[in-house]
Amino acid sequence: MSLERYNRQVLFSAIGEAGQQRICRATAVVAGCGALGTASANALARAGVGHLRIVDRDFVEESNLQRQVLFDEHDCRENLPKAIAAERNLRAINSAIAITGIVTDINPANAEELVKGADVVVDGTDNFETRFLLNDACVKHGIPWVYGGAVGSTGLMMTIIPGQTPCLRCLFETAPPPGMTPTCETAGILGALPGVVGNWQAAEALKICAGRRDAISAKLLSVDLWSGEVQQLNLARARENAACPCCKRRNFEFLEGQSASTTTALCGRNAVQINPRTGATLDLQQLAGRVRATAGISGVTVNRFLLKFSAPGGDSGLEVTVFPDGRAIIKGTSKVADARTAYAKYVGA
Amino acid sequence: MQVEVRLFAALREGRFGTQRLELAVPCPVRDLLQLLSICEGEVFLCLVNGQHSKLDRKLADGDVVSLFPAVGGG
Repeated sequence: MSLERYNRQVLFSAIGEAGQQRICRATAVVAGCGALGTASANALARAGVGHLRIVDRDFVEESNLQRQVLFDEHDCRENLPKAIAAERNLRAINSAIAITGIVTDINPANAEELVKGADVVVDGTDNFETRFLLNDACVKHGIPWVYGGAVGSTGLMMTIIPGQTPCLRCLFETAPPPGMTPTCETAGILGALPGVVGNWQAAEALKICAGRRDAISAKLLSVDLWSGEVQQLNLARARENAACPCCKRRNFEFLEGQSASTTTALCGRNAVQINPRTGATLDLQQLAGRVRATAGISGVTVNRFLLKFSAPGGDSGLEVTVFPDGRAIIKGTSKVADARTAYAKYVGA
Repeated sequence: MQVEVRLFAALREGRFGTQRLELAVPCPVRDLLQLLSICEGEVFLCLVNGQHSKLDRKLADGDVVSLFPAVGGG
């Protein structure tokens, strides 16, 4: 295989010809292809990662274009699934690699299959439940993965090498309760931020693909692009005293569905019900305040028992009803993936 | 006794990045949050001296407390 097109990367001595050859044989999974996922998939495809698997459940919308670098107005007009648009656009960038776009919701039933055979998994998801699921699947199969999160002007990034560095559950024992996590839809996001975080994740993934795990350290990186502050928190000791249910006790609760929310299409009602993990207590008034300030939302009504609003999505808009226990009914779609997308966007989990 | 508090991401908004605080008696992290008007639900990760800690952990002189919110967007 000619490495000519990767010449500038081969010249970079930490990768070199041997590293590039390994990159060209490597398989990377980009899990979720929104702002972080498009940035990292773009970098990985250009870098020549031999097999790129891109998984996403969502469609391209106009409000994505502010930050999701692989998509354009054309994809938006065509209403293309993100995984398919990404595959098509990346193929035009690098036809020498194999790219597979997979349109699916990452869930306990398919997570292991989706990461199977990967050298590295890059997190582009928009919710913690899916991240905990990826953590379970990757730790179980010994696959390194790179967590990334971005909202407002701040981002976090951490590389997890099972058995070597702390895993996500070493740090965060449980997923945050629904409604407590600001999302890009409710808190906004500086368009340039996911490019920074996603490329940072891609650089970590490339080190792994190039066989340079020695260059990875157990650190949580925090960046605030508005104030210009970058902080590193050494996690080398974080794992010592943490009896981690996942990487220490190998109890894969999210993969086994014990900690996962359940999602059910309500037959004949063109609606989907989402039941979160137990123990959620939502402040509906607070959530209503956040939702009211969100673009595209209308008809917000709230009382002691429920919060109801209209949101874009489905064939002709969605009606979202959220209950204090975190349960939600999303009308206007029978697709579980659409409902989970709306829940992650507006309720946040 | 003195502890150093480091706030990350959105927890800094309207507060501070790093600050040393004087505490009259050793107290759990939870009391520190109350002192700083940080709601427990906002804290997703608490590290004391780089180690994962629960909010009932009692602080000692010289401890460094790092607090993170959940940064979930992607």
